[in-house]
Amino acid sequence: MNFTVARQMLAAEVLKLRRNRGLMALAAVVSLGVVVLFFGYTAIRHASNPSAYGPAGGIVDFGRAVRLLGLFFGSLTAILIGAEAGAADISSGVFRDLVATGRSRLALFGVRVPAAIAVTLAFTLPAYALTVAASFAFAGGNPDPSVTLILQSLAWVVLADAVIAALAVGVGSLTGSRPITLTAIIGWQAIATSLLISATSLGSVRDALLTPALGQLMPVPGEALRYATGTAVVVITCWVLAPAALGAWRSRTQDA
Amino acid sequence: MNHSPSETIIETHDLSKRFGERPAVVDLNLAVPRGCAFGFLGHNGAGKTTLIRLLLGLTQPDSGTIRIAGRPLPAERAEVLAHVGAIVEEPHFHGHLSGRENLSVVAAVRGPEARARIGAALARVGLSDRADDRVKTYSQGMRQRLGVARCLLADPELLIFDEPMNGLDPGGILDFRKMIGELIAEGRTVFVSSHLLDEVEKTCQAAAVIDRGRLIAQGPIDELIGNGRREVEIGCAQPRLALDLLDGDPAVAGASETADGVRLTLAGADGVAGINARLVQAGVAVFRLEHVHESLEHRFLEITSRLGGHQ
Repeated sequence: MNFTVARQMLAAEVLKLRRNRGLMALAAVVSLGVVVLFFGYTAIRHASNPSAYGPAGGIVDFGRAVRLLGLFFGSLTAILIGAEAGAADISSGVFRDLVATGRSRLALFGVRVPAAIAVTLAFTLPAYALTVAASFAFAGGNPDPSVTLILQSLAWVVLADAVIAALAVGVGSLTGSRPITLTAIIGWQAIATSLLISATSLGSVRDALLTPALGQLMPVPGEALRYATGTAVVVITCWVLAPAALGAWRSRTQDA
Repeated sequence: MNHSPSETIIETHDLSKRFGERPAVVDLNLAVPRGCAFGFLGHNGAGKTTLIRLLLGLTQPDSGTIRIAGRPLPAERAEVLAHVGAIVEEPHFHGHLSGRENLSVVAAVRGPEARARIGAALARVGLSDRADDRVKTYSQGMRQRLGVARCLLADPELLIFDEPMNGLDPGGILDFRKMIGELIAEGRTVFVSSHLLDEVEKTCQAAAVIDRGRLIAQGPIDELIGNGRREVEIGCAQPRLALDLLDGDPAVAGASETADGVRLTLAGADGVAGINARLVQAGVAVFRLEHVHESLEHRFLEITSRLGGHQ
């Protein structure tokens, strides 16, 4: 597959996602909308009772908003988009027609990952820009985040959302079903992971969880589990590669 | 459109595929000549779609070989399928995309040349004015036409249509038949899987019949129907006398009594006039004499193993 074909296939994958109005609207609400809501709420709270509640901006609320974007609502955006990218061709029946062109199944799978990441970042990067702007605008007497922290946090948000998007594409390609993928990943990330983190009896087994590993790399860490950065990198890599390998395997072997 | 020199565009040799214990295709030896409309006939569940899926590499055979345009599958799958357009079962699309966008998705997968053919393909199937509407607003017939447009993006030398007339209204069927004729006139080969025997008879020049995964007949439509047999029906008042008179006649290869006369199988191309003269001279009142045209439907039901079990 030459570069021109790869670029065209990537553009086609992005087109499929971007033209899904419902998905785009939901992704906008979950990413940009949540940032607006977060800073709006904290600004109103501060305005209504400045002595009890500090300003909405500054370094502290910047850190909270970055955490929201990286581990919660930005991740949710990535899950929504990744699941759609992974499962859309199979669930619509178009995968069969694409395979019948003679193009490699692995190539058909492969372009879904960067497309999902690109569309995810099209929401989370503006949301991050909004976060930075709001952190300065509402800082009041609080210290502003430094340029270094802003850049480090940007890299971390991109990493976290890209990882989750890739994971969702892999699971979506494996199941071929968007509802199953959403249920599985959101259930795992939002419910099962929280329960497992609090289960101290599991000990170091919990090191294999994705959310604390991502939290470990966050410039302002705060997750319950603490372990070596190298371990976190290995855990994150496994969480990307394992679902991607399963999704690729399924794309390659399933009867179309 | 570039043609490879092979005269046979699809060849399978001892091709077999099972799904669990159920054989779907059994030792299939199929030869589809280039440049014609080829009908692939069989009852529902006979193995038609399975063969198409094997030809397109959508599923893998258990044994046997496939060659398309002289090239082996799956070894040269990418090169072969780059010149094949196919609709398997029914055409599927992303409903939230327009017709043009759906074609652009497939064109992106096929390569830059396919992208340049989108407009022409839409015009060819008469969808230019609806090309920018979402596909979920399309009728069944429009989806079928968009499916054909998608096939044309490959500038295919072989088109494979699986039950293409399903769901089309009479006008749509007529248009589809006409389009197949045009594609053949351009030198392409059209492989049509169908259980609509009348349509295949009207559309195709050659056909194969599959039953329970086994190929039981293939060849030109005329040969399959048996029109070479030259049968005539003679309406007459004294069929027994007519049979006695024609017994041993060298122009008659076979004869049987019918409800209102006799049915003869002629030994050669000539002889009908002589037979008529003999009967009349012997006092047999002949009130009708016509060549029998066998239909593909009759022949199909005659040669499939479940004769009488289907309508």
